[in-house]
Order: sequence, then structure tokens, then C-alpha cells
Amino acid sequence: MRALRGALLLIGVGFGLWGLWLMRDFTGAQLISIGTWFGGAVVLHDAILAPLTVILGVVAARHLPGHFRASTATAFLLWATLTVVFIPVLSGQGGKPDNATILGRPYLLSWIVMTVVIAAVAAILALRRRQTVEGQV
Amino acid sequence: MRLPTVADIEQRLPKPEDFESRARGTELTARVGTMLGIAFSICFLTGMWSHFQYTTPGWLPLGPNPTQLYRWTQGTHVLSGMAAIPLLLVKLWSVFPRLFALPPKKFDRHLAIDLVEKASIGILVASSFFMLFSGLLNIAQWYPWAFSFRRTHEAVAWIAIGSLIVHIGVKLPVIREGLGAPIEHRDHALDADAPTRRSILQGAVAASGLVVLLTAGQTVPFLRKVSVFAVRDGQGPQDLPINRTAKGAGAATEAKDPQFVLEIVAGDQTLSLSRDQLLAMPQRTHRLPIACVEGWSRNADWTGVALRDVIALLDAPPHSAVKIRSMQTKGAFGVSLLPASYVEDHRTLLALELNGETLSLDHGYPCRIIAPNRPGVFQTKWVKRLEIQA
Repeated sequence: MRALRGALLLIGVGFGLWGLWLMRDFTGAQLISIGTWFGGAVVLHDAILAPLTVILGVVAARHLPGHFRASTATAFLLWATLTVVFIPVLSGQGGKPDNATILGRPYLLSWIVMTVVIAAVAAILALRRRQTVEGQV
Repeated sequence: MRLPTVADIEQRLPKPEDFESRARGTELTARVGTMLGIAFSICFLTGMWSHFQYTTPGWLPLGPNPTQLYRWTQGTHVLSGMAAIPLLLVKLWSVFPRLFALPPKKFDRHLAIDLVEKASIGILVASSFFMLFSGLLNIAQWYPWAFSFRRTHEAVAWIAIGSLIVHIGVKLPVIREGLGAPIEHRDHALDADAPTRRSILQGAVAASGLVVLLTAGQTVPFLRKVSVFAVRDGQGPQDLPINRTAKGAGAATEAKDPQFVLEIVAGDQTLSLSRDQLLAMPQRTHRLPIACVEGWSRNADWTGVALRDVIALLDAPPHSAVKIRSMQTKGAFGVSLLPASYVEDHRTLLALELNGETLSLDHGYPCRIIAPNRPGVFQTKWVKRLEIQA
């Protein structure tokens, strides 16, 4: 166990140093851009998205009727993570104006449909849960 | 008014135990983390495979077979990266309270270990976000950065996978404990309405699966209609999407020139062939994919002259690689080097027709290269010159 952990640490550090070595001829402007992405992603997640999720969780736990809590949590998980993945196609950025074969789908419409479907399924599951719980009483 | 002291600030910061959801816990983190580790491994290996196409090490015999190999590896690369995003977000959610665990107060080796561990996690998180989101933007041809995508995506991949291996090494006992224990919190029945760990785990798997289902149609034909969030819908002129147009590549004017002749050079011999002369040579038709580094792919029927038949018109040494020069004046990959193993394959074509029609301008008219098992960026369009490498 101890030997395995030591080996993993050494291999991991070695890989990381190799990655740095591959950047040895990068210009200052390129490295600043990389650094901005590194720091920006962490700040965006740790300082904004994650606390927002925690606050929403606390509000939901305090104020939602009990039978809504579990399905709302799952619905939010699905909706939020899928939305993050689809940000590039939803953003309207990317592609080239002279190329109609990229980003050619009605992504916003799909996203609205996705949002409605997730919300509807969550509501149905919550209502069914209420019936089950009331049936047990 | 006095300034707040460190103690004042510490009092106001949340503490790990302030986070109340019992759905968080090592048992969940270890399970999501294992899946995330598998996704990262697949993404890393297929990614390195793709980098090998650009700078092929001598020990690696890359060749035209299997025909669809790059299509599979690169399609898998992009899909495994996208599938990892929901897993990463859920995993970070499950450990978020740990961010507020204050380091030990005394200056001793515990503090040093704590800081090194935090630093390695910081690098892991930052490089993971970097890899997944630079890739995600790149496939949509959205480049809000000042670095070279390919080289940076390669270098940071080693940092990400290296810090992941360090992380596994550090956390191995915790991971084993988490995976060995039942997933649910022992007190979870006390609050029967709360989301359970199992429901979060299932949600993460479902989100990951949905991401794949809703985008895989760009490379898996039968999912084309299902994948409403795919960057590519598989459509385009002559039933094939385009990566770069003739205008975008700065090749449009020269490509439309009716006086076009293809130059073939071997040493001091030079041969010029018009498009009609190429059409008069024996024509072959092969079904080969365009497999783009951006993760989309589609098969098409290509008709044209086998490249080796064109080469044979000159007295060139056998097993020669061929340098292919395009008319394009803008952007990268205006020149590609086709290794001998591809040149010798009878399916490697100087294509003149696509899906039964004259090659359209944006697909590389007057002629283009199409070879089996090659990344799309090397399937050079608007070919004007072939240089046989002695």
C-alpha cells in the first residue's frame, strides 16, 4: 500500500513536470492566457456556481414541501449540469458565418424543451410521492 | 472602528460541518470519482492517440488500417470528455465543504502536508476545468484564448492526469474505505424527504449518459436525429459537413481557375496534369470517413484516381512519402505529409467526385486527398502540388 502510494505520487509528479516541459517555449502572452483560464475556472466554480448551488439547496430544503425535495434535487442536478455542457452551442459564439454546416440546430428551442420536460417529470414524481406517502398514513 | 482580525473572519467563514446535506460523503465521492477517473483515462489515452497523428513517434506504426480507427478514437475522446463534465461537477459538489476546512494552526509537518495536498487539488481542479472546457469550446470553433489549442491541450493533459494520479495516491485509503462502505448515510432515514446519496449518484450517471445521447449523433449515424445538442447535424453540401470553406481558407479564387493544373514533382522531374487528364485516368470509388479532430465524422463515397497511380507516372523510388500542398492561403494545415504506408494503399485517393457528384468547391474542388484512418485536418483540400519525398 505504502509503496503503491509512493509510486503513484512519483508518477503523477513526473507526468505534471512533463506537461510543464511541453510548455517551455510558450510566450508570456500564451502563459498569461493559460493562467487566466486556470484561475478563472476555479474562481467561477468555487466563488460563484458552487455557493449558488448550496444556497439553492438550503432554500429548497427549508421551503419546498417535503415530497418535492428529492425530485427537485435530481431535476436541478440534471438541468444544471446539462446546461453547463451546452453553453457553447447555446451561446451563439463559435462557428463561422460562411459555414452553414456547423451549429445549425435550434439549440435554444431544444434547451427550453429540455427544461420543461425535466421540470414536468420532477413534478409528476413529486406528486406520485405525495400519493404514496399519504397512502401509507 | 477597528479592522476585523483573523479570528473575526474565521468566525464568519462557514465550517465544513455547517453544510447540512447528508447526501454528501466519502461514499458518494469515491463512487463518482471512480467513474470520473475512468472517463478521464479514456479521454487522456484517446487524446494522446490523436496527438500521435501530428507528431508520430518512430516506434508507432500508424497506417491506413483499420479504416475507421481514428473516427472511433476521436469520437470517443470528445464524448468521454463531455460525459466527464456532469461527473466532475457532482464530484466537486460532494466535497465542497472541504474547501472550508482550515489548515492546522501550528507550523509543523501537518501544515506542510495539508498545504501540499490543497495545492495538488487546486492544480487538479484547475487543469480538469481547463481540459474539459477548452475542448468543449474548441469543438464549437469558439476560441476565446491566446494560446495554441492543440499544444496547450496536450501539455495541460499531462498536468491534469499527473495531478489526478497524485490525488489517487494521496486519497487511496479514503477511496478504499468509501467504496467498501454502503453508500447511504446511516442516519438518512431521519429525514426521509431529503435526496439520498444513491439518487445523486444515479442523477450524475443519468446526466452523463444524456450528454452522450444528446451529442453523439455527430459521429454515430443512427443517433443523428436524437442528438439535438450536437455541434454538427451531419448535413452539408453533397451530404457531408465542412470544417473550413474555400473562402475561409483563402483558396476560392485559385480553386476556380479554369487553367488549373496539378503539379507532381519527384526530384528534378515535374509533371502537370489538368483535371480532365486526371478524370481520364482509371477511376476508383471507396467509402471512407471524414473524421474530424473536433469529434464529428461521416462516411462518404469518394471517386478519383488512386494517389499511387498518379505517383507511378513519374520515376519515383518505392516507399516514398508525399508532401501535399494546398491552394489555401489562410490558416494551418496548408501542407501535409502523407506517410508511405498511406500512399501505397489503393484506397488513398486524389478525389474528384463526392457521393456521385463533382467535388464541390468547399469540399476541395478541383481535387483533394482522402485516405483511410486519417484525421480530417490532413485530408488536404484544393490540392495544387504533390512532392514525392525521396
